[in-house]
Amino acid sequence: MSRVLTWRALLTLAALAALPAVPGLPRYYLLLAFDALLFGAIAMSLDLLMGYTGLVSFGHAAFYGLGAYATAILMERGVLSLWACLGFSVLVVGAYALVVSYFATARRGIYFALLTLIFAEVVYTFFRYTQTFGGSDGIQGLPDAELWRGVPIDTPERKYYLVLAYLALAYATCRVVVTSHFGRVLVAIRENEDRARFLGYSVQRYKMAVCLISALLTGLAGAIYPIRSAFATPDLMVWTESGEFIISVMIGGLGTLVGPIIGGVFFTILRDKVSSYVDWYFIVIGVVLIVIVLFMPKGLLGFRRLLGFKQWRATA
Amino acid sequence: MDYLVAVLLPQLLHGLVFGAALGLLALGLTVIFGLLGVMNFAHGELYMLGAYAGIAVIGWTHSFWVALVAAPLIVGVLGAITEAATLRPLYRREPLYGLILTFGLALVFREGVRQIYGGDMRRILPPFTGSTPILGMTYPDYRLFLLAASSALLLAIWLFFTRTRAGIIVRAAVQDAEMLDGLGVDVRRVFTLTFAGSAALAALAGLLLAPVFTVYPQMGVEMILLAFIVVILGGMGSMGGSVVAAVVIGLAQSLFSLWMNPQRVAIAIFGIMIVVLIVRPRGFFGREGVLE
Repeated sequence: MSRVLTWRALLTLAALAALPAVPGLPRYYLLLAFDALLFGAIAMSLDLLMGYTGLVSFGHAAFYGLGAYATAILMERGVLSLWACLGFSVLVVGAYALVVSYFATARRGIYFALLTLIFAEVVYTFFRYTQTFGGSDGIQGLPDAELWRGVPIDTPERKYYLVLAYLALAYATCRVVVTSHFGRVLVAIRENEDRARFLGYSVQRYKMAVCLISALLTGLAGAIYPIRSAFATPDLMVWTESGEFIISVMIGGLGTLVGPIIGGVFFTILRDKVSSYVDWYFIVIGVVLIVIVLFMPKGLLGFRRLLGFKQWRATA
Repeated sequence: MDYLVAVLLPQLLHGLVFGAALGLLALGLTVIFGLLGVMNFAHGELYMLGAYAGIAVIGWTHSFWVALVAAPLIVGVLGAITEAATLRPLYRREPLYGLILTFGLALVFREGVRQIYGGDMRRILPPFTGSTPILGMTYPDYRLFLLAASSALLLAIWLFFTRTRAGIIVRAAVQDAEMLDGLGVDVRRVFTLTFAGSAALAALAGLLLAPVFTVYPQMGVEMILLAFIVVILGGMGSMGGSVVAAVVIGLAQSLFSLWMNPQRVAIAIFGIMIVVLIVRPRGFFGREGVLE
């Protein structure tokens, strides 16, 4: 097997693909699984920045929300083709990501976190108050998208397989990135930016490139979200949403690909369960985050060592 | 001329008042960032806690002035405890962890206050009403007091950092904490006390601005975003820069709001930041190699 296509990844994918076949599984859980895997995939693409390059983005919600709005705007105007929606999202998110990443990587250190956050807040403010795009209600009541003419993505099963396909694509992309020479340069930048520069790498260009990849993957996740939920609202790009992506990465394990997926799934299920019992779930989530940062900086994957797995650093 | 006196002048003063208070907030952020290498995402929540602590103290004592002393003390102690319990174990790790930790703290503080006090808007009445005629217009007394208090505080902070031994120790810790430790100063205590001080300043700003604005659990979020812009504009790590940038942003905010609705103002301020970043990538007073 190649370095991208491992048996383990294929087996996991097969197991996930068999999920809808579980007898007696309520359809609600398929939609929850949709959210969980989508969140996991976003966390994984964010980890390309956080874990591999050492850049914390507080603005990923803007990529996500822009992708969602791109789909919603097209579908509201009667363009139901999934491919048109995805293409349009890539264009919108890519253009925005280029601008953000240019400014955010022009300076080192904390500027990245602050500028991604501030840019995202401006995008949020714009959509929140622009009545053309529905203002604070967003765009609601979208029809089902079509895979191609006459094949609507309407049942929970079809939606679930859509997100699964996206997850596989995102995982393969991230895997190629982190195992390539490019990925190694990113780790070098994280470990010692000056040395990477002395070795002749244009650090800003690498940072912009990984930012663009991460943003496009997140934007694609945003693009398929309205297909499941039938809406896009400004709440998708509020900054706590970016925080939730970061929390997912931290829960799963910084600097790995599988970790953030697990973290995103864990987080989504936690949020779903906790918020159906209490309305102070943000406290629970905040405390979980604090505990993880303080006591288990490797996240859930840190438990592997306890279970006897070989510990590996995020150098691959 | 009438326009100048009746509209422009009060608005300029509003901007100055707001800018001075914003400066208090941004200054705390700058100092903590210089010291711990952590941009404190919970700073806005400390600002918010100041206002709520004020509400609590006013509820017990019915005195705004007692609250003005007690609320910063309460939040300062909370800040010291928070720093010692959560940030101190992270000193030896990468700053990334501290950054994410403060985000968790912000969630807990904000949601905690919402649980205790509810999510609705509250008001704190100004301790005195009435207005004074100056420069051909009448201006509310409380806002004049606010301007005077913020300016006096900024001056006091400047004197603290330039004229007192404690202030010089803090600046030395910003420069090189390890060296300071080697010279026999208890650096951990310096960190904790400075964090407490910056929390108290944020709380003071929150309580001082409360009679002018409204108090609600999310109030810190808007302020912290402005404060981040201020810190970037002023030049990372430059205390003077933070204050200058805060006044600029305060003035810009209130002047723009004469002609635009609040959302446009937010976007216009963002535009200013982008222009400054293109022209002067390090902000007003940022120096090469400092805190990068």
